[in-house]
Amino acid sequence: MLLPPVQVLDGHFSRVLVKVSHGLIGICGGTAKVEGAILRAPGGFAVEMKDGCNGVNVTILLWSAILAFPAAWRMKVLGLLAGSLAIQLMNVVRFISLFYIGQYSTNWFEFAHGYLWETLLMLDTMVVFWLWVSRVSRAGTVPNAGD
Amino acid sequence: MPAISLNPQTRFLLLGSALLTGMLILWWFVLLNPLLFLLRGAVQVCGGAVFSGRSELSVTEAPSGDWTFEVPLEATLPRSLENPTPQQMHSIDFDLARSDAGAFTFGLPVYWAIMLAAPGIRRNLRPLLLGTLAMVVLEIALLLVTAEIYAHKALAQLLPSQDPLGNWFLHFSEYLSVSAIPYVIPFAVALWVDRELREQIFHWASAAPLPAEAAAISAGNRPGKRPRQMKPARKRG
Repeated sequence: MLLPPVQVLDGHFSRVLVKVSHGLIGICGGTAKVEGAILRAPGGFAVEMKDGCNGVNVTILLWSAILAFPAAWRMKVLGLLAGSLAIQLMNVVRFISLFYIGQYSTNWFEFAHGYLWETLLMLDTMVVFWLWVSRVSRAGTVPNAGD
Repeated sequence: MPAISLNPQTRFLLLGSALLTGMLILWWFVLLNPLLFLLRGAVQVCGGAVFSGRSELSVTEAPSGDWTFEVPLEATLPRSLENPTPQQMHSIDFDLARSDAGAFTFGLPVYWAIMLAAPGIRRNLRPLLLGTLAMVVLEIALLLVTAEIYAHKALAQLLPSQDPLGNWFLHFSEYLSVSAIPYVIPFAVALWVDRELREQIFHWASAAPLPAEAAAISAGNRPGKRPRQMKPARKRG
């Protein structure tokens, strides 16, 4: 994420997530405006999805755990796809909630953005990995601690 | 009314999310200031032992709550238009925002929340205490490492010659120490100290049985000695 070519892709991905969030807000009856990776409220408050806010870091963590775990490649691919989707769904919920929390209070926004949602995403990633390992275990490729 | 039975993962997610929210609110409103005070004192004491040079590491707090670090660092600044002779430096100063310093204290409540949501922690509080101690040591060490990174970043700005690779490495190190490691540490420590949680997540308990001697070694017994007898779990009423 810190290399220029990856940063370009990362930026595109952030803009897609902001568009998805904007679409969901519209479906639920809310109002917002999209400017690239920025979501702007009618009152003037705006939130930008920057590098690190798009859930890519926790997705990379999940990928590392899944790829390092002894399992069949089919299960790994399934885990990578389903796990990434689960994390990104949670991240869109996070982004939309931050958009509304920020309009309510800057202090609560700082708390939710910097600490609460970051750790909830980590917890979510841990549980996604746990669910995947359970599925791998049920599929009959139970790993051994010594492997 | 039938009781709702949740699988361990859902139970851990729901309980963990509720505990994380509660613990972090407690930290934000009550624990943050005392923990920052203790952290600053601990960093000064430990920094004096870790950093050796002509000057000592010092951390002072501004009225705004931001911290000013003075980190021992030996360097020679080459001559420039402002300074006609090379200058020897023994330390470097930089400011750390209060919110950034707070990031080195929130790991404790996060760790407590994970451990309290973990299965079976009420039967054995030892991992909770051991992990708390490990968290304290790791947070102090991480802040000292971060101070060193910031000192080198500040020095790089003073030097006229720019090293792109070195600057990228400092940027990457800063990202890891401020934005990645503080969030991973509580989870890693919880998995490290809580064997039951580790076995449940990695499904190691359900692995194929090991040969008797190997099982004795993995249970903490040396080969040739009788394996420790497991006490039957007492039913709690």
